[in-house]
Amino acid sequence: MTLAYSFKSAFQSLCREKWINILSMLTVASSLLIITLTAFFLYNVELVASHLPDRFSLVAYLNDNISQEEIQGIVDTLKRRDDIAALKYISKDDAIKELKQTLKDTRYILEGLNENPLSSSIEIRLKRDFVTSASAKRISEEIKKVSGIDDVYYGEKVAEAIYLLKKSLQNMSIIIFITISTGVVFVAYSTVKILFYRRKEEIEIIKLLGATKGFIRMPFLIEGGTIGFFGGILGIIGALLFYLAITYRLSMVIPMLKTLVFPLEILILLPITGIALGIVGSVIAIGRLKL
Amino acid sequence: MIAFQNVSKYYEHQGVLKNITFSVQKGEMAFLTGPSGAGKSTLLKLMYLAEWPDEGDIVIEDFHLQSLKPPEIPLLRRSIGVVFQDFKLINNLTVFDNVAMALRIKGVGEKEIKNLVSVALKKVHLRHLSDSYPRSLSGGEQQRVVIARAIVTEPLVLLADEPTGNLDPNTSIDIIKLFEEINLQGTTILIATHNRELFRNTGRRVLKLDGGNLVGEEVG
Ligand SMILES: Nc1ncnc2c1ncn2[C@@H]1O[C@H](COP(=O)(O)OP(=O)(O)OP(=O)(O)O)[C@@H](O)[C@H]1O
Ligand SMILES: [Mg+2]
Repeated sequence: MTLAYSFKSAFQSLCREKWINILSMLTVASSLLIITLTAFFLYNVELVASHLPDRFSLVAYLNDNISQEEIQGIVDTLKRRDDIAALKYISKDDAIKELKQTLKDTRYILEGLNENPLSSSIEIRLKRDFVTSASAKRISEEIKKVSGIDDVYYGEKVAEAIYLLKKSLQNMSIIIFITISTGVVFVAYSTVKILFYRRKEEIEIIKLLGATKGFIRMPFLIEGGTIGFFGGILGIIGALLFYLAITYRLSMVIPMLKTLVFPLEILILLPITGIALGIVGSVIAIGRLKL
Repeated sequence: MIAFQNVSKYYEHQGVLKNITFSVQKGEMAFLTGPSGAGKSTLLKLMYLAEWPDEGDIVIEDFHLQSLKPPEIPLLRRSIGVVFQDFKLINNLTVFDNVAMALRIKGVGEKEIKNLVSVALKKVHLRHLSDSYPRSLSGGEQQRVVIARAIVTEPLVLLADEPTGNLDPNTSIDIIKLFEEINLQGTTILIATHNRELFRNTGRRVLKLDGGNLVGEEVG
């Protein structure tokens, strides 16, 4: 009963001050959109990074037309070394399969290839003790001398860079997330504060009529939550427009954008985050009530 | 039941109520009179805790105000109906919603609210103004809305602060008759007024307040 009344009262108040509220909703929406885009960006960097060799591995590419026995010989030679933790042989067929898997939607890049252009390779995982720059370099040079090995790809530098990029992007995202969330809380706070002051007199009256703190607070919590909720909904619309723009428009110009992955599921979090931040703002705005 | 025991109230070290002791029995209807500034409104405010007493104890029905816990304050206020001297109507709510507010606060369902509010508005002859806003009403009409709001919850105690201050003599008599009716149903009533006409020949107790002191008692 009381809750139904609180909702009614909250929506009346939202309609009475509609411009303030619409403005707040738009502010919340753009803030949530920034958070979403940051998450999207981070997600894609992670995805790319997960396909790259990690810091502890080398890849030895084998000569073409190498025989099965020769391969076995190489593997045995490498296994005798005490600085290698694990080996994994990848045939050229496996390699092309994996590439096709990775490219999925953009498989046409490989169209027109009659012959498999990839080499067979051995993925080498170093023991942790040997992963300093210097020793990885020395080991890769030694391995290169083994007959049957064409080249050694030594991904330390790239991997290191990607790792650092990933780390700093993560840190930046956390900072962005905290700053923007605080911003959203502040928007809800100031809006609800205004609505609260406009109804100060009414609140003093209903206190004398016997209203509980909960009864007084509820409409304002609903107002803050509603601003957050509609901010979230508008944020979803914004994110979808962004998604359509990159998948249909921009990707025609820049095909690489096609490989970006946009997890639409996370959009459902926007209204929920909006409601939560809105309510937090309202709680701070109302502060301690004195009956 | 209302009981004051050595109650004092100060505003900036100025005694506004001094060592007040009296009681009004359950189901009694009594008057409180005295010149302007005597402390009548202040005395009523102490009962619904718009102001807190500085000394002494007040008992309203089962509530001992001295040892009242904060969550009990709304319960105390809900069992008291108050006709405020300055009305305290909410300007952006209709007459209906103003009266209904007292019930919504108690968690009464909307269907029941409809019935109770229209009965209360009928008692003060205001049913036709149910959808009006307080600002568009005359002083007397506003005062009757306040009365309707005070009685709609059927409170245990009814406090009326100058309830006929804006009413013509005939309407005033109607309102006193209404209070008599409510009193017959068992509600304890205390009416603060400087209009001696209201209690003349009623045979009710009249408490006399002057300069913050209870200076005597008479029968109207
Ligand atoms: N909030 C306050 N701060 C300071 N003084 C106050 C306050 N409220 C009331 N007073 C003083 O207390 C005294 C009693 O006021 P009160 O309103 O109780 O009088 P009253 O008997 O109701 O008068 P009236 O018949 O005019 O309504 C007055 O002198 C008034 O100035
Ligand atoms: Mg007064």
